[in-house]
Amino acid sequence: MDFSLYDFDPAIYDEMFVAEGEPREHCRAVVEALRELPDDDLNTIQERVTRSFSQEGITFTVYGDEEAEERIIPIDCVPRLVALTEWRELEAGLVQRIRTLNLFLADVYGDCRVVRDGVIPADVILGCPQYRLAMRGVSVPNDVWVTICGTDIVRTHEGFMVLEDNLRVPSGVSYMIANRKAVKAGLRLLYRRSRVQDVEQYGSLLRQTLCELSPGGRPDPCLALLTPGTYNSAFYEHMFLAHEIGAELVEGQDLLVNDGFVYMRTTSGLRRVDVIYRRVDDDFLDPLVFREDSLLGVPGLMNAFKRGNVALANAPGTGVADDKSVYAYVPDMVRYYLSEEPLLQNVDTRLCRRPEDLEYTLDNLDRLVVKRVGESGGYGMLVGPHSTPEERDEYAKTLRADPADFISQPTLALSRSPCLIDGHAEPRHVDLRPFVLTGNETRIVPGAFCRVALRRGSLVVNSSQGGGGKDLWVVDL
Amino acid sequence: MLARSAQGVYWMARYLARAGYLSRLLELQVQFLVDRPVEEIHFGWKRIYQCMKRFPPPGEQFLPETDEFALADAFTLADDLTFERSNPDSVWSAIASGRENARQMRHCISGEMWTCLNAAWLRIRDLGAVDIWRTPEVFYAKTRSEIHNFVGVADATMYRGAAWRFMRLGRAIERAQLAVSLLLAQIDLSRQTERRTLGWASMLRTHHALEAYGRVHGIEMKPERVLDLLVADPSLPGSVLATVQAAATELEGLDAGPGVEADAAARRLAGRAEAIILYDWPEASAPEELLKQVNQSARGLHDAALGAFVDYAIEDSPLR
Repeated sequence: MDFSLYDFDPAIYDEMFVAEGEPREHCRAVVEALRELPDDDLNTIQERVTRSFSQEGITFTVYGDEEAEERIIPIDCVPRLVALTEWRELEAGLVQRIRTLNLFLADVYGDCRVVRDGVIPADVILGCPQYRLAMRGVSVPNDVWVTICGTDIVRTHEGFMVLEDNLRVPSGVSYMIANRKAVKAGLRLLYRRSRVQDVEQYGSLLRQTLCELSPGGRPDPCLALLTPGTYNSAFYEHMFLAHEIGAELVEGQDLLVNDGFVYMRTTSGLRRVDVIYRRVDDDFLDPLVFREDSLLGVPGLMNAFKRGNVALANAPGTGVADDKSVYAYVPDMVRYYLSEEPLLQNVDTRLCRRPEDLEYTLDNLDRLVVKRVGESGGYGMLVGPHSTPEERDEYAKTLRADPADFISQPTLALSRSPCLIDGHAEPRHVDLRPFVLTGNETRIVPGAFCRVALRRGSLVVNSSQGGGGKDLWVVDL
Repeated sequence: MLARSAQGVYWMARYLARAGYLSRLLELQVQFLVDRPVEEIHFGWKRIYQCMKRFPPPGEQFLPETDEFALADAFTLADDLTFERSNPDSVWSAIASGRENARQMRHCISGEMWTCLNAAWLRIRDLGAVDIWRTPEVFYAKTRSEIHNFVGVADATMYRGAAWRFMRLGRAIERAQLAVSLLLAQIDLSRQTERRTLGWASMLRTHHALEAYGRVHGIEMKPERVLDLLVADPSLPGSVLATVQAAATELEGLDAGPGVEADAAARRLAGRAEAIILYDWPEASAPEELLKQVNQSARGLHDAALGAFVDYAIEDSPLR
């Protein structure tokens, strides 16, 4: 792989190079090995990685006007490297953050001390569309509200930062494992020499974590993964995870509630379900409590959950803690609940509900990234530096109409990592989404779904917006 | 096992058995185009359509035409039976439906089975009749072979649990129904022609039974002997008896279904179909009537099996 034309930019943190042509210490051996690899070989590996995704049907579904199309997430075969020492620091920050968020959720659905003590304004919480009144006063197994969390992390010259906490139904972990399997098969010797930390135990850790939620500690609990169905874009992941954790992959129609217990229809009768890893949004979980037109959920499920007869992972209502407005308060929450300083920083965030923040945002639209509080997937946002004056004028009108629906952040120079583009090395912006599991303890596999903005210069890494994936190697070098 | 998963695996097997069987029929039919008289080619098409309970596309009249017309018809008919998306039983649609069921139940089958089936699907997905028409028999042979391969991979890698039973049950019922349906079509069409032996040799070839027939009955082609072999020989894997017995075996291997009455009906119907062939067939004066009874039992078995294990009433079910 030829790095001689690699477009190193000292203003942007590069994951592989510390200066032009000079690899970071933990990347040195891998860069040397990649340099020795002829371009043709690397192209062949890239093709093989893509083909393996197609052959194994590792796809996500996109719906057009007429028919559904199965697509493959483009995968770049050049791994992104993180040193084990750096990873340990990141891990400690993630553990601290999930402890805090679980305490916050118990609090906002309990005594709401955080509001009474003036840490977070009441309207930020009660005005959040993800706040679930139905969860007031509910206790959850082991006080774990968020069993599975996928935290979006970016890196700049200032270090790792949390871009977003995904606490509802985070997806992408199947790609972490699939990328690893495919890239490992392509770069066999290099993988072996690089002492890469293993991620393939994720399934067994997830199973262990879910079993720890078993109501009343019932041994050998019956697990089910609740999917919205085959039309969901993440259906592949649902199927993959059900297989990995030995759970039945169920839809709402397969479950029923009888006398406060949840059962699934099997070929030998109704079988009690103890733990449900639900990949259905709150709104659709139970038509008796949430949206009554939902056909995806199970009538009576919330009743069974509140009575402690079934565990739901994640618990309903966790979305209040990953709301983009609430996000701005997480560092304060860490100090409030743990009396510790946050180990992981937030991106500086302005809430447009505050008049001074709105004014600042409107004055600096060309420099900021503005996001809708309720949107995700890269939709509904304005990337100031990449926008035209007309787009900014149009966006400002929407912003003024409902300021509380927006936040703004500085445009970050997300770190870049080399990718194989048209046969040679080019830098592309990346982020990472590690998955944090919490049962009796918090467990994190040393790896993540690394997302790449494959379009030159783009900062949007979402797969729905032209993003792709990369394997992330935590290396002990 | 989750009832819906059982249903998915069952249908996966049925669709793939259908695709494999139709591919075999078409493989032989397009071979006819090379050297058989037009009358025989038409006979073959009619038999396939009658077996699949489908009407040919409008305009296909099967008149005693010239070779050119017969070949042009063949392209249209093969396209209709192979790639027509609106035909739910075309080879393409059956593989698509089988693969879609497998995709939804991937956690119930082995990874090797999925990869094998997905590869077959990726090969056929974007093809049309124009793409295969230079050597259509190669395409059909390859498709059939991929489905055989899938069955073999399943045999070698799939866990012998309930999913395995439901998959085999689906395959057996589908094959029984198709075999009976083809035999009924053959008997019916034979009556309409003066050539008494027309189509019987290809019936043997369809069921990979030509060599077996030669070993048992010699080289003389007698329709009643062919019929007897294809219906009642338990040693021939594709015979009606063998497929009905296979269905009964899979049913026996499953614990009783929660739909108690449907479960009893399913077991009774499997036994009845087998009994008809074992005890009534040897003295049959009207084989067509017996085959229709077997067909009815197989259809009833399908409904009863789903009623017993999948669509049972909740109040029938014990809580575990």
